[in-house]
Amino acid sequence: MTDEHPALSLRGLAKRFDGKVAVAGVDLDVPAGSFYGLLGPNGAGKTTTLSMAVGLLRPDAGQARVLGQDVWVDPVRAKQLLGVMPDGVRLFDRLSGAELLAYHGLLRGMDPAVVDQRTAELLDVLALTDAGRTLVVDYSAGMKKKIGLACALLHGPRLLVLDEPFEAVDPVSAALIRDILARYVASGGTVIFSSHVMEVVERLCSHVAILAEGAIKRVGTIDEVRGKRSLEDVFVEVVGGRTATGEELAWLSN
Amino acid sequence: MAVELTAPAVPARRVSARHFVRLKLRVMGNNFRGQGWRIALFVAGALVGLWLAGTGFVVFATPGFADGGRYAPMVAAFGGGLLVLGWLLLPLVFFGVDETLDPARFALLPLPRRTLVTGLFAAALVSVPAVATLLALFGLVATAGALGGWSAALVQVVGILAGVLLCVAAARAVTSAFASMLRSRRVRDLAAVLLAVAAALLGPLQLVGISALQETDWDSLTGVSEVVGWTPFGAPWTAGIDVAEGRAWAAPIKLLITALALLALVGWWSRSLESAMVGAASTGGARAKSDPTGGAVSQLFPRAAGWARRDQFGALVAREARYWWRDARRRANLITIAVVGIFVPVLVNLGGAGFTMNSGQGFGQGSAEPSAGLVSLSMLFVGVVAAVTLANQFGFDGSAYAAHVVAGVRGQQELRARMTAFSIYVVPMLAVVSIVIAVVLDRPGWIGLTAGGLFASYGAGLAVNSFVSVLGAYALPETSNPFALNSGAGVAKSFLTMLAMLVTAVAAVPMVVAAALLGDVWHWLALPVGAAYGLGAALLGAYLAGDVLDRRQAELLAAVTPRR
Repeated sequence: MTDEHPALSLRGLAKRFDGKVAVAGVDLDVPAGSFYGLLGPNGAGKTTTLSMAVGLLRPDAGQARVLGQDVWVDPVRAKQLLGVMPDGVRLFDRLSGAELLAYHGLLRGMDPAVVDQRTAELLDVLALTDAGRTLVVDYSAGMKKKIGLACALLHGPRLLVLDEPFEAVDPVSAALIRDILARYVASGGTVIFSSHVMEVVERLCSHVAILAEGAIKRVGTIDEVRGKRSLEDVFVEVVGGRTATGEELAWLSN
Repeated sequence: MAVELTAPAVPARRVSARHFVRLKLRVMGNNFRGQGWRIALFVAGALVGLWLAGTGFVVFATPGFADGGRYAPMVAAFGGGLLVLGWLLLPLVFFGVDETLDPARFALLPLPRRTLVTGLFAAALVSVPAVATLLALFGLVATAGALGGWSAALVQVVGILAGVLLCVAAARAVTSAFASMLRSRRVRDLAAVLLAVAAALLGPLQLVGISALQETDWDSLTGVSEVVGWTPFGAPWTAGIDVAEGRAWAAPIKLLITALALLALVGWWSRSLESAMVGAASTGGARAKSDPTGGAVSQLFPRAAGWARRDQFGALVAREARYWWRDARRRANLITIAVVGIFVPVLVNLGGAGFTMNSGQGFGQGSAEPSAGLVSLSMLFVGVVAAVTLANQFGFDGSAYAAHVVAGVRGQQELRARMTAFSIYVVPMLAVVSIVIAVVLDRPGWIGLTAGGLFASYGAGLAVNSFVSVLGAYALPETSNPFALNSGAGVAKSFLTMLAMLVTAVAAVPMVVAAALLGDVWHWLALPVGAAYGLGAALLGAYLAGDVLDRRQAELLAAVTPRR
């Protein structure tokens, strides 16, 4: 029944901070079963948009629905369907990896036996078992990303919302994360993630939206958006970047 | 394009303390931008500081104009000494230090340590407490001037300026050294014990002081004050008065003592500053001794929370219980409760009894009876202090609270679990306090009275602070210094804390009234009634505040997330 709905549907989401517009009315439909990339330069409003979509930040206007459930009207039901990995947000990092996963599992109301089993598997697959009882606060940046992803995956959500999952991750871990996400989508899940790494988006995504200055500039399947050019060219053109001519910063060559 | 990147050896302009002061003012100013309530809080804090400064001024200036200055050296030595002691200890126990300029931020800049230390020191001087202290101390200048004319006043000005520097340096050195000690986990346990022992020594010393007050008249304290005057605690404050009293030779020596103490403190501070700058990231000893045993779920639950069910509530309790121990900031709070909980009631009640005895002497045989009302009042205070620790409980978590928002944890569940986990530590502590107080007062029959008062005010405090923590949360900086506060948050913190304490005290007053009025019957009723009152209040608080929390989760998260 809920399959008639898009996995994530945003309508007119808007947010201002201290009078400055961060997100200016974003409409977005993420089809169920898609692998969706949200592209944008720094400060485009990616994190703000995703935070509003998952119930972390109250929008000034607009709606966010997860498989038809409004995140702000009926948060409990919507959040059951969601797995979230926010960026720039701390984990409860004075727990060890296993403790953190157990905590997230029980917070989600899962059966302790299932939590134990899935925790062991996730730690194993993400190569975090060796960390033992090291507290998450002492993890490296890449390990923190991986344990964050594990927390988001643990309860088997229908929709994964990931903010910058590939930032600060080494190539080996990034490949691992890519594989896990691809398998998750293949088995019927939906992923939306933000990034500014073109290669990753081009390799993984079925759909892309380009966000700049708080508004969606391009949206569609990846082929629709890039046409015959490379995604990077489209991105730079849409965002309106400049290319260096070599004249400025001449003193750098001294 | 004449600028070369392979820079000249000497920077174009020297960095001076002025830059640090301006940086601090700018950071403070930017913090106010668009935040009316912060400005209001700051103004209110400044007014309170001004009022205290005025009071202090009067206290310090009065001896110059009364009794021909007979008490001037004593007031200067003891009053000033108390100020230094306050600057030394209060930041540790209560307020923390203003880390508007976090030393770690300067680690990458090519600044000589001397520049950095003088700069940070100058910036530290620009604060309401430092200015208020200086204003109050001008009372001593008035005293010295009244007694010894211009020359004495001038020496006194130098003295108090050096003295304020000494105060600020003491506060910085102690908190910085303590913080870098606390950073290593193994030392943290040791520090907890040491702090407790230090506080334990303070108590008896004060008792000795009080009994000295009773047994001797003020004039015989002159000797003590003279001795204090030659220590760094009293030297800066008495230099000008010495000139006024014709001991001009003493002034330079005392100023020298002050300067040496100041140098030592700054040196100590600068050494611990270095470790704060480089060692901030290393926590050391993070790996526990044993390998993980059992499943992930059983690892999460500490033994103290082992009884909890393996569900959402149990997980919240288990995580909070772990955090009260593993988070240096929280643990510092627990230690404070333990120290305050034991010593304040002992001092108040023994001291109170002593004062009764003292005033009673005039009327023949005075009674040294500890009064039930006073005991209940001091218990109420301890309960209030214990509960007020939760006033910013969400601030401890910072942005990690997002996990609860995403998981959709219900507000009532959240608050009840937090209360439960905190109580795992605090209720046994309070039980010990009530027993110790009853024993120290030699009134074993009063255990019910003390425990009842404690639990009632603690429970009421939990309820009040649930509301405060949901409505008045603020972000704590993400540093490893457990004493660090955001600029501006210092004032906010004190105000919220005071408000919460006041409301809690009002809510628990019936217990004191009952203790004072009901007499012996109450000794038996106090414990069950108090415990029930506290439990009921806490549950009601969680119920009502939980509703508020459900509607404010996103706003609360925004409030406790540090601005980057």
